[in-house]
Amino acid sequence: MPRLLSTALSLRRDPRLLKIPPYVSALCIVIGVVWLLLLPLDNYSRRTYVSENALLPGQVHTYFGGSEQHIFRAFRHEVDLLASKNNYEVNDKLETILTGFGVKVGRQNYTYHSAGETYSGENVYGILQAPRGDATEAIVLVAAWKSIDEQLNRNGVALVLTLARYFKRWSLWSKDIILLLPPDSTTGTQAWVDAYHDAHDSEHIAPLPLKSGALQGALAIDYPHEERYHELHIIYDGTNGQLPNLDLINSIVNIAGGQMGIETIVQQMTGHTDSYHDRLQTMLRGMLYQGLGYPTGPHSSFIPYHVDAVTLQPTGQGWHDEMAMGRVVEGSFRSLNNLLEHLHQSFFFYLLMQKNRFVSIGTYLPSAMLLAANFTIMAIFLWVKSGQPIEKGASDESKERNLLSPLALVATCHAISAIPLFVFNHLDIKTLPLAFEIFSTSSTALPAVFSLAIASLHKPSLQYFQLTKSFSLLILGVSLATLSTLNFSLAFLVGLLASPLTFLQPTNSRATRWVFVALLILTSPPVVISTAAWTSGLTMSGVLKAASLGWNVWGMYTPVVIWCVWWPAWLIGATNTLIPAFQM
Amino acid sequence: MSTTVTLQSKVGVFAGAALLRLVLFAAFPSLPDLLTGRVEISTPVTSFKRLQEGLFLYNHNVSPYDGGVFHQAPLLLPLFSLLPDVKNWPIFTALLYILVDLLSAYALLVIADSGEAGQSKHFTSPRRAKRSSGLLVAAAFLFNPYTIASCIGRSTSAFTNCAILFAIAKALSGSPFNSMVAISFASYLSMYPILLLPPLVLLAYDRQSDKRRIDSAVQFSLRAILIAATCISLLLAMSFALTGNSWDFLARTYGIQLTLSDLTPTVGLWWYFFIEIFDSFRAFFLAVFWLHLVIYVGGLSIRLRTQPLAVLTILLGIFAVFKPYPSISDTSLFLAMLALYRHLYPIMRYTYVASATMLYATFLGPAFYHLWIYAGSGNANFFYAITLVWSLGQSLFVSDLTFAVLRDEWEVERPDMVGKEIRQI
Repeated sequence: MPRLLSTALSLRRDPRLLKIPPYVSALCIVIGVVWLLLLPLDNYSRRTYVSENALLPGQVHTYFGGSEQHIFRAFRHEVDLLASKNNYEVNDKLETILTGFGVKVGRQNYTYHSAGETYSGENVYGILQAPRGDATEAIVLVAAWKSIDEQLNRNGVALVLTLARYFKRWSLWSKDIILLLPPDSTTGTQAWVDAYHDAHDSEHIAPLPLKSGALQGALAIDYPHEERYHELHIIYDGTNGQLPNLDLINSIVNIAGGQMGIETIVQQMTGHTDSYHDRLQTMLRGMLYQGLGYPTGPHSSFIPYHVDAVTLQPTGQGWHDEMAMGRVVEGSFRSLNNLLEHLHQSFFFYLLMQKNRFVSIGTYLPSAMLLAANFTIMAIFLWVKSGQPIEKGASDESKERNLLSPLALVATCHAISAIPLFVFNHLDIKTLPLAFEIFSTSSTALPAVFSLAIASLHKPSLQYFQLTKSFSLLILGVSLATLSTLNFSLAFLVGLLASPLTFLQPTNSRATRWVFVALLILTSPPVVISTAAWTSGLTMSGVLKAASLGWNVWGMYTPVVIWCVWWPAWLIGATNTLIPAFQM
Repeated sequence: MSTTVTLQSKVGVFAGAALLRLVLFAAFPSLPDLLTGRVEISTPVTSFKRLQEGLFLYNHNVSPYDGGVFHQAPLLLPLFSLLPDVKNWPIFTALLYILVDLLSAYALLVIADSGEAGQSKHFTSPRRAKRSSGLLVAAAFLFNPYTIASCIGRSTSAFTNCAILFAIAKALSGSPFNSMVAISFASYLSMYPILLLPPLVLLAYDRQSDKRRIDSAVQFSLRAILIAATCISLLLAMSFALTGNSWDFLARTYGIQLTLSDLTPTVGLWWYFFIEIFDSFRAFFLAVFWLHLVIYVGGLSIRLRTQPLAVLTILLGIFAVFKPYPSISDTSLFLAMLALYRHLYPIMRYTYVASATMLYATFLGPAFYHLWIYAGSGNANFFYAITLVWSLGQSLFVSDLTFAVLRDEWEVERPDMVGKEIRQI
């Protein structure tokens, strides 16, 4: 044992040991990516299962149908008549209908401002009091007047009204049922949920006149589809990449598939063949939506308040009708009604790769953590190297480190990152594209300016470079590791795009430097954002408007990650690479 | 010339720190309340929110302890009821906290300029030439994000920290009486600083002024302890009179710390352990945890007799990890004292790893707390795991400092071993 110890100690002094970390870092990145690619395989993903016993999905007989169809047609007719009316006229009529069933109705005005535009409207909602409950718990049924694609949610609203009338006659509800009919799929639900939890900005959003108990779950129906449909698209991504409990999705898949014989799909993957390719594509789409953190439907606003919610969207050409959809909702509500406590059994962190296949956080987290770890390993390595004497055989005592100026550069870069964050979230839509162009140009020029300024202020030493890079990578690694526990996909994407920063360094070779510069420009945040917008066929102003809306309405933090974590790290990396060559 | 320059830069640092805090208080009116609610800053025994509750009851002539949430020393109440209402006039409370932080920094300045860290009465470090200037130490304390956060969060541990630093500063400047009064205040406010008494008495004994010298160590310590005891008794008697001639406050303030009956999460190690433990073992483990906290005092004071200031620093680090209700304010105090030992940094081995660990914990702690409390997708284990990492980072600093202090001593005894690799067995 003592010999082993002394061998280990002598190994610590071995100069060869210091050559290893960059390779370890590279290995971390490679393993991280390969790990993700392995997930769709049978050995790494699992079949889903309902773990909350109280849900009993598909175990009850659903009675919605028969003569309800006539009522549904009648309500659809009413909705058609309202199609050209304004928000308040629509709500007047809806209120009359809901009050007609004996449902208590409340209305709420709201106004949001973002990118110089105003988003205002009035929510109408009704509370159907549970015959067997004490108003301590509630489940929500949402149908926005305008669907996610800005069409009239004709069948959705009619179905909710029919279901409301139908539910009212049942005596078995032990939780209140709230029927929420916001004017649009984006801002309305957010205003309502905020006000329900008293977390609203009372200047722009009115409080709710009526309230029920703690929300246990929510279903949104997005049903502008006119013909008979083939499958049910379950939309589950919440704001900031938060997800509803997997049990909710499992139950709906179970009820729709097992009881009603309706196919379910996730992430718009029609015709999923359960092949590796399809699974991977589903997973990557899920990661992209999660990483963007942008709300995907009226359900998204519920999830940050720990209310599990999904949007159901019938799609495709098939033979299922509105009644089948109603029975899916009925079955799901009966399951939610059974719950004794909040959904907690199943997973909150998962990646779905098929309606019934998933990987849980324990399996996928290591890939993002490895990406984050590569930065930390490199940071520690550079710190150790910065303390070593340059020429061999010099004094054994470690070198004194000058911490002040590297820290100053890192702090400056992080401080100026508040500028793009502020600018892009406060300018109005007319000036946003111009601001982005100006910012992209100056962001490309800034490293050159910084490196010249540094070179003129003091002759930068190798240690200066090592320390700045070390601190910058340390902050990047810490931030990404933290982020990966909150929003795995965003952390993974940013980690991957920032990974060249680990290996870039000042060089004396002109050719290598140009390669580095090209790589840096390609992976700079503005370039990546424009490329992403271009490949997905969006205009830059549309992206900027959506980002601003996300920040101002939903509290989406993706801009913070991009401008205050990624961009400063890139800026420091680029500045370091451009510093005029010095004695290596 | 040089004195004016240092005076200018001193004023600059202090004014800058005050201005920064004022700007934070004024520009973000919701920030103080946000930080006050954070478990990392406000513990059951230092929380400003709980103080408000106590203050409300006190101002309405109800015993402040009847609410069951206020566990702080009674004398804080008249102090805060002198200030205008914090809801309407938050600026006065802010000014008080800023003032306390500046006083603490001033005390640190005195401590650093005394040079005690590098050269005490019985020990002279061979590395002392590379000491950090007092201004740098004060600036490191004032601009430490942990200090700023606990100042904005208005944690009442700011008063305790200030009293501890003044006790040390007064002991160094040869006024044992003031030092004992200061440590009595600290102990009265938070109880645990009483454990600093032995090294503090040693420090005061070593640094007595020549005019009023007491040569006998026993006589000196007895007098010091007598002063501290008298002062604490006076404070307790005043508290007794203040809370309607009742001794209830003892159980509600110090009793809470001794029995840990409030299990609100903190960054420390106690809350989770005592939530999990079976009630039949509770008394035993309370005794063990307290014994563990106390046991370092004797050992360190004896082993590092020649450097009482180092004992105080290490003890403050240990308390920041192992006391019942620690917060980041205690960490900021330890880090401030650690800044005095700049000459030992070259022989400390894990500074970067320990700082990285603490940085990780600082980022992950709030994230995991969010997952546990707000998102509901995590649980208490997440947050507790991070408090373990946090404590690990701090204990790395504590053990590394202890190692460096001992190695520094050892190199004086064995000059032949300077700069050589040593192996601990």
